[in-house]
Amino acid sequence: YLSPATCATLYAASTPAWLAAGRRVRRVVKQRYVPLVAIGAAYCFLVMMFNVPVPDGTTAHAVGGVLVACVLGPWAAVIAVSTALLIQALFFGDGGVLAFGANAFNMAVVMPFAGYGVYRLVAGGASLTARRRAFAAGLGGYVGINAAAFLTAIEFGLQPVWFHRADGTPLYAPFHLAQSIPAMMFAHLVVAGVVEFALTAGVVTYLQRANLPLMRINHRNVHDGTGDIADDVARVPAFRFRFALIGLAVMAVLTPVGLLAPGSAFGEDAPPKLGFLRGYDFTSGAHPLVGYVVSAALGIVVIGLVTVGGLAISRRGRRRAVRCEAAA
Amino acid sequence: MNDTRTPEWLVRSEPALCPCGCIGRRRKGSFVEKTLTGASDVMRRVLSSDDTSAQDGLLQRLDARVKLLSTAVLLVVAGLVHHIAVLLVLYGGALALAAASRLSIAMFVKRVWLFVPLFTGVVVLPATFNVVTPGHVVVSFGHWWFGREIGITSQGLHGASLIVVRVAVSISLVLLLTITTSWPRLLGGLRALLVPRMFVAVLGMAHRYVFQLLGTVTDMYTARKARPAGERGTRAGRAFVASTAGALLGKAHALSEEVHQAMVARGYQGDAVALVAPRLTVADLVWVMTCAGAAVLTLGADHVLAG
Repeated sequence: YLSPATCATLYAASTPAWLAAGRRVRRVVKQRYVPLVAIGAAYCFLVMMFNVPVPDGTTAHAVGGVLVACVLGPWAAVIAVSTALLIQALFFGDGGVLAFGANAFNMAVVMPFAGYGVYRLVAGGASLTARRRAFAAGLGGYVGINAAAFLTAIEFGLQPVWFHRADGTPLYAPFHLAQSIPAMMFAHLVVAGVVEFALTAGVVTYLQRANLPLMRINHRNVHDGTGDIADDVARVPAFRFRFALIGLAVMAVLTPVGLLAPGSAFGEDAPPKLGFLRGYDFTSGAHPLVGYVVSAALGIVVIGLVTVGGLAISRRGRRRAVRCEAAA
Repeated sequence: MNDTRTPEWLVRSEPALCPCGCIGRRRKGSFVEKTLTGASDVMRRVLSSDDTSAQDGLLQRLDARVKLLSTAVLLVVAGLVHHIAVLLVLYGGALALAAASRLSIAMFVKRVWLFVPLFTGVVVLPATFNVVTPGHVVVSFGHWWFGREIGITSQGLHGASLIVVRVAVSISLVLLLTITTSWPRLLGGLRALLVPRMFVAVLGMAHRYVFQLLGTVTDMYTARKARPAGERGTRAGRAFVASTAGALLGKAHALSEEVHQAMVARGYQGDAVALVAPRLTVADLVWVMTCAGAAVLTLGADHVLAG
């Protein structure tokens, strides 16, 4: 369904997440949990097998990614869901090997992080056995699967815009954004999301009742209603910062949505002399698509460099201040 | 003559279990039940390639790394091709390779075309209409949509068939790889192609434990079905599914502890070791050249057709 160019881009987007996940899981989860992650993958595979019929004629399935993220941590979920997707692609032709990068990006990277972010935000400092925590996990599952579905719909919907013959014959996925987004979102908001919510919340409730040690793997510092108060609060700022970055990354990926908007941006007309990349014929509207993507990428790089530079300067300032204090 | 016969009581049909539904009320099974009962068989058939990968065919003799790389290249080529005729030639090539690898052609074709119409066909069907793909209307269904004509366009038909054939070719290529390569060799090949060792370890174990977990789920489901009397509500059903999934996680955790201890006891230090060291042969080299030639030829033919 997806063009090789789209697949390659999304492989490139997933690779850093895989590498980071591999390193983090090895460090944090330890070798001891390699079998547990493997079994988490087998678990996700089984969950994905249960295709629920959707009224519009297709089927949708839950992923279980957010559940694994809640129990083993989001990085372990990245590996577990990726593995489940790879087994599906290799043995069932489901999803496809070329599209594996895209599938992994949507369901194994964005979904666990989006879902886990919502879970942490809603659960807050609730005790390990609180109902709020189960609800938060379910909500995380619902948001996570819908975020993944939305991204998938965008990837599909952009195919006929970018890849078609002169006579309009689509070369890859044929549905435009106006059709792919409602179709995917209906199936996931109404059916798959609800299944994911029920599954994630139900399993967390069960674990709270019957298998609390399993919940403790990823909640070492959260009190379980009998023990100490969480020192989770101390970690909140760093955590929020990280998720802000992830949110920004998601927004960057969603940039192509802007292509949907007809007309030009209100009040953003630059004076003609200020246009960058003038020699490349982007500003005159000859290559609006390429110009849009290039300017988006350029903007991200510039803002990223400014942010990183600013952070480095402030950090150096802080270090100098600490050194001065030490010297004094 | 053979005197050993199955006792009569064993082959007698049980009236209470009549599958035709002539006695009592026949109930339609839930989708959970259908998936569970069907999945076990299908998975065992699909996930185990031991019998086909042990045959003495063309692809079975090649190195796993070479096969992985060539499959990836051919998949990209199939993705880049824009003409159905060229894709059909590629599909013919895949069939020829299946025959050369002593695979049953009927099984090979069935495994591909059983999935394609079900998943891809249903999804791309609406795209043949002019509502989705505007263009030259070939089959018209009248002007009933607010005075607008609704019909199938040639562009839509062409686009949809392009996708269906491309999916079939891609699945065939991947199928050729997976059913002619034993799982340990495939994992070894992935490891040699710089896939991190942790992923390979997780992949290998996940593949192994899918069966184990499926067996556990089937057991739990059978136990549950055997216990209650009377109708069960949807609420109870939901609670059952959630607690089964939770209990499964708990069992998986316990199992993983045992597996890890067993692995460490056998000298596991984080890397999987293959018993047979893979070695490249002349056949592998010839295969690489053939694949490269086929890729260039295919893309060239596609380019010529486009021009």
